[in-house]
Amino acid sequence: MPTPRFMPEPGRIPVPLRLCRGCQHFVRIENEACDFCGGDLAALEAAHQLRSAEVQDMIARLQAALAVH
Amino acid sequence: MTGARTSETLPVRYSGLDDIMGRIPVSVVWEITLACDLACQHCGSRAGRRRRDELSTAEALDLVDQIAELGARSVGLIGGEAYLRKDWLQIIAAIRAAGMECDLQTGGRNLSEDRVAQAAAAGLNAVGISIDGIGATHDRLRGVIGSFEMALAAMRHVRAHGLEVGVNTQINALTLAQLPELMDIIIDAGCRNWQLAITTAMGNAADHPDMLLQPWQMLEVMPLLADLARKGRERGLFLQPASNIGYFGPHESALRNVMNEEIHFHGCNAGDTVMGIEADGTIKSCPGLPSPYAGGNVRERRLRDIWENAEPMAFNRRRTLDDLWGYCRGCYYAETCMAGCTWTAHALMGRAGNNPMCHHRALDFQSRGLRERLVKVKDAEGRSFDHGEFEIVVEALADAPVHA
Repeated sequence: MPTPRFMPEPGRIPVPLRLCRGCQHFVRIENEACDFCGGDLAALEAAHQLRSAEVQDMIARLQAALAVH
Repeated sequence: MTGARTSETLPVRYSGLDDIMGRIPVSVVWEITLACDLACQHCGSRAGRRRRDELSTAEALDLVDQIAELGARSVGLIGGEAYLRKDWLQIIAAIRAAGMECDLQTGGRNLSEDRVAQAAAAGLNAVGISIDGIGATHDRLRGVIGSFEMALAAMRHVRAHGLEVGVNTQINALTLAQLPELMDIIIDAGCRNWQLAITTAMGNAADHPDMLLQPWQMLEVMPLLADLARKGRERGLFLQPASNIGYFGPHESALRNVMNEEIHFHGCNAGDTVMGIEADGTIKSCPGLPSPYAGGNVRERRLRDIWENAEPMAFNRRRTLDDLWGYCRGCYYAETCMAGCTWTAHALMGRAGNNPMCHHRALDFQSRGLRERLVKVKDAEGRSFDHGEFEIVVEALADAPVHA
């Protein structure tokens, strides 16, 4: 398989967006507030990460409990 | 679908930033013959009889080497019905010998156990079976009574020979309501990959406007698909929305999530990481696009020359917001989306840059008590990959206040 080479004219570089954890809309990456629900994107992301960690912890404890029994 | 291709578990046809920078045709879709044993009402290429000037075996095998030289990782064989070409097994073997993955997309009518065994022996990696609706709905759309059961039988043959089996489904006015039940059927039949595409108004489908979804139906389609994606994942089914399904709105992440909730649609990738090939050697930036997008023919120019230098292959990487028009020109997502699927927009509107088949757009109109409806104003001419033309009528939602 040939190594990819970088061409003088590359393909169109996608313009990335960020996900609002409040309303699930994608918004411009430089935004601080969601253009759709007005939520604080950083605060919503932090809350989401916390919730995700709690769910992961719960799953791990459930798996451990099931392994014991 | 684009992201840093960090996981080895992603299918090889998924592209990453390095592929875009190197403009690698990661996924090549090759119509090796137009001969077909079905008579699909939505067939964009109006398949049936083989093209008069399809590539010879020697030309096809040489083309395999040229595809590999460009760094392609995956070659999907389509038709017509690829297995109706006498040398299809040679082509599969050559693709695999050149270090690329090879899959077959088929209606499965005559994909017998013998044919599957031969294809597996030649190195075929996977088979995608087209199943559009359940029973009589599928048979009607595919134009052959019994073709639904034949497709399920083909799935069984594929699984029996240890090949990965997927299903491709058209979403249109006939199939939309049947998708949840169809998902149960294909999971039970062993499907792990389900690709869904909206029926595009090209070829035979342009002759059946009643079959096509209306833009406002995206309000139903997107929540349904997001729900099916979530439920399917819990049961081991990976739902893959085609590039003509979207865009954005509150279900984008749920629908497009491939192990990463931040993944979103990023625009048409025709000519950047996708290439289409017709059976006569015509090269296009996407298999579905009509003839104005053809970059040349491998009988006249080397594939690399067409891919790198032909003007029609470059439309995607050179276009700007100024190429958008209508609603898409002023859309919040214009810079990322660039009017979504070029194929769908061109087939409906006669040119790219304004795509009414969009969830965000439908939601915006709905919030103003309006909806868009497509009205066919020009018939297709009856050629392969041709299209008619539609006009957009903006009208009040039933029982909804109008704030125009």
